[in-house]
Amino acid sequence: MRRALRSGRPGLIGSPFKILVLNVVAWAVGVLWITPFIGIFMTSIRPFREVVLHGWWSPVPFTPTLKNYVDALFNPMFSLSRGIINSFIIAVPSTLIPVGIAALTAYGFARFSLPVKRYLFVTILFLMAVPQQMMIIPIFFLLKDLHLLNTYLGLILVHSSWGIPWITFFLKNYFSLLPVELEEAARVDGATDFQVFRKVVLPLALPGLISASVLQFAWVWNDFFFALMLIFDPDKMVVTQMLPRLKGQYQVDWGLLSSGSVIAMLAPLLIYALFNRYYMRGFRGWAMKG
Amino acid sequence: MAKGVRIAGVWKVFPPNVVALKDISVEIRPGEFFVILGPSGSGKTTLLRIIAGLEIPTRGSVAIGDREVVNVEKGVFVEPRDRNVGMVFQNWALYPHMTAYDNIAFPLRLKRMPEEEIKKRVTEVAEALGIAELLDRKPGHMSGGQQQRVAVARALVKQPDVLLLDEPFSNLDARIRVTAREFVKELQKKLGITTILVTHDQADAFAVGDRIMVLRRGETQQIGVPEELYSSPANVFIANFIGDPPTNIYKLPTSHRLVKSLGIPQGVEEGYGELYIGIRPDEAAALKPGDEGHLEGRVVLVEYVGSRRYAKVDVGDGVSLKVLLECDANTGDPVRVRVQKVHVFAPSGERLATLTY
Amino acid sequence: MTSLRMSPTRISFFIPALILILVFVVYPIIATILLSLNINPIPGTEIVEGAPGLENYVKVVSDKRFLNPKGVEQASFPMGAIVHNVIWIAIHLPLTLVVGILFAVFLQYVKGGSIIRSFIFLGMVIPMIVGGLLIQFSFDKDLGVVNLLLKASGLGFLAKTWTIYPDTALFSLILGSVWLWSGFTVTMYSAGLSSLPREVIEAAIVDGADFKTILFKIIIPMLKPVTLTVVAMTILWDLKIFDIVYASTQGGPGGASNVLALLMYEYFARLGDYAMSATVATILTLVVIPVVLLWIRSIMRGGEG
Ligand SMILES: Nc1ncnc2c1ncn2[C@@H]1O[C@H](COP(=O)(O)OP(=O)(O)O)[C@@H](O)[C@H]1O
Ligand SMILES: [Mg+2]
Repeated sequence: MRRALRSGRPGLIGSPFKILVLNVVAWAVGVLWITPFIGIFMTSIRPFREVVLHGWWSPVPFTPTLKNYVDALFNPMFSLSRGIINSFIIAVPSTLIPVGIAALTAYGFARFSLPVKRYLFVTILFLMAVPQQMMIIPIFFLLKDLHLLNTYLGLILVHSSWGIPWITFFLKNYFSLLPVELEEAARVDGATDFQVFRKVVLPLALPGLISASVLQFAWVWNDFFFALMLIFDPDKMVVTQMLPRLKGQYQVDWGLLSSGSVIAMLAPLLIYALFNRYYMRGFRGWAMKG
Repeated sequence: MAKGVRIAGVWKVFPPNVVALKDISVEIRPGEFFVILGPSGSGKTTLLRIIAGLEIPTRGSVAIGDREVVNVEKGVFVEPRDRNVGMVFQNWALYPHMTAYDNIAFPLRLKRMPEEEIKKRVTEVAEALGIAELLDRKPGHMSGGQQQRVAVARALVKQPDVLLLDEPFSNLDARIRVTAREFVKELQKKLGITTILVTHDQADAFAVGDRIMVLRRGETQQIGVPEELYSSPANVFIANFIGDPPTNIYKLPTSHRLVKSLGIPQGVEEGYGELYIGIRPDEAAALKPGDEGHLEGRVVLVEYVGSRRYAKVDVGDGVSLKVLLECDANTGDPVRVRVQKVHVFAPSGERLATLTY
Repeated sequence: MTSLRMSPTRISFFIPALILILVFVVYPIIATILLSLNINPIPGTEIVEGAPGLENYVKVVSDKRFLNPKGVEQASFPMGAIVHNVIWIAIHLPLTLVVGILFAVFLQYVKGGSIIRSFIFLGMVIPMIVGGLLIQFSFDKDLGVVNLLLKASGLGFLAKTWTIYPDTALFSLILGSVWLWSGFTVTMYSAGLSSLPREVIEAAIVDGADFKTILFKIIIPMLKPVTLTVVAMTILWDLKIFDIVYASTQGGPGGASNVLALLMYEYFARLGDYAMSATVATILTLVVIPVVLLWIRSIMRGGEG
């Protein structure tokens, strides 16, 4: 009650003691939640022997080293530096292409009348949810016939097509919330549909486009299954694909794996940190009618 | 028995430094229908929430009946659930997943009242409010007026000592509003429950209030019965805020022709270089040029409000007055303006005198 | 707002997406179904052996790796991929819902709650393949935080590398997936909470409700649309689970943590039996469909309400 008087707002939870306990517990759980990350990071920057003997949590002896990183980045079989480059080569076009294409479609869904629009929209939702496994075998043979198997282009095409449904869904919601008056003004001024789209809609929807791009990039980067099925050449493998192959046959080499894990998650973590607002908006929009 | 509410020296400062309420003191009598009137952002809701216990004042105290429910200096704070107040929120805040019956029963169930007693009470209050047929509907399937009645029922069912209403009419269509006002007023009189209603609409306030407190930027401007606020506004703000159409108000030098022709006595203007002159449109009339009056002018605009006609009359020197039009003059015609009442305010705003002719 | 009439130029807005989706999504889905029925949808290849019919489905269902009646009877792993997926849902879904609601509600009252929320969200940001490795790492006998905690709380005798024993491999992966996926539920519920009207909760306070009553009688019922979405998405994720298992146990030991998506991959990559692989994929999709329909319905409703 005293606390309530001091804070100026009555609380739901009640006594200051309960609030304190809640804070302590929440922070303890919060820290516990990221200990695997801390552990893998600590393991990656010390010699593996030291970790095995003393545990990654032990403060002494502490011999910081980049050896694990060098080993992972320049591994003779699965060089993660090559993997990172490949991941970028795949992820950048696999983001730009579907965002561009889906923006057009989403605009059509948001503004044009279409006799079967509702059914098409339900179809899109359905395609968002179908497992990747359901389409990979025919894609495999299709790409083989087109001589696109085990090529960047093949994987990019598949990622782009796979991204279009959810981006369409997301951007359609976004476009529907834009004020239609600006577009109408442009139309009255004589702009064609495509000009309206380019000059009015896209600039207004820029935050939405960024959200979609950020999320699509992160997902393509994080994807494992498509790459696993469609790329075989170690020189062309993406980073997530190389990672499990660093495991070693009999004994798991956590020194190598930990630095590899850090390397592989760095890009999505940076994207998340730098574009946090866009990321979260896209994330919520991905799952719900926004 | 109805209980009064005593508010003493209440301040509320929101961090960092929004002063929502400044030293509010008022005594609300048992059984009174008390209205807090003020423009948006003046602190009305904050005051109501402090009475309910949803907000704690920065300073000051509130008592319901003989019991202090909050006293910052003494460290007293009674939880909202122990205050026995009923509150109707501005957007009604009905529980959307419950039927009207469950909404109304909710406060009673929390008291672990037996189910048949609950049923009796809910039916009773629903009948009194004319919503007995709605009881198994959910809020999403009711009109605004019906939702409002359910919200009122939920606030009343626990037989509170004080009923708090935050802008209860502002979400209603203009036509329902009138009946809703009458309804609330009648209900309040019938139950004799102490009621505090908050509104930004003077028509609401005048329709239901026994007494009205006018707030502006967290400060009390005037407390009084409706006639008082209208006939002797405490300051320029009230004169301007209350009355429809709004009062003609001009800040003029005492040497101004208008001040002279209205014959404001020496004693009133003494010591001031300037004065505010307030003339209500309903307390002045535009007559034929030959008639007896105070000012000459020319009609610049004629306007109908209901059955009444008002003329905007340019009386020269940059002053134009909106007054009742009581001759058949049209735009451009000369008229003579007769004033029945003038409110005179000091430059600082407070009222000096009201002159009747 | 009135929609704009259709015209040839307007149709062109849909063309590029239509082509890509038809070629790389719709056609493959249909082709997979055909393939599972021993109908060759890909001309010029010899990937179908049997005669058209449901033969593959019979074969899959009687495959021990898909469903192992003996394992189910004796409640010992492996029980078969589809049972493992069901167990996954049965454990993961309730846990992750509870974690989501609890964190979303209580973090409101915690200083720095948004920081904790973003900690929890990290599991959603990283590649799931890394997530799988982190799970394996955390359950490791010597390195893992789980065993560290067990030892610290005097339960040291339980310490072992959980992922390499048949009776614990699946459970450790499931618990790990709660850890990874709770970022989703917490985020969804937090967003839902912040969009609840404050007045409704305050009305309950004035009505005399305490915290528990408000949580169970007001907040949770009002979050029902969020719960619907979260349940649907979580079940879908559980059914499609692949990367985590691939990275950590490869479905082992001895198939004790095998799941449908991994079984599909095994047929494809290890055995080169494309028709059987397609059959598993189709079964997976059939299982997913009711959930998808539930989710679509909730979205279409939300769009109109
Ligand atoms: N929780 C709050 N935090 C900060 N400022 C607030 C809060 N609630 C109200 N205010 C401020 O206090 C003033 C009075 O608000 P309020 O009581 O809602 O006015 P009214 O109901 O008369 O429109 C406003 O300036 C408003 O911005
Ligand atoms: Mg208000």
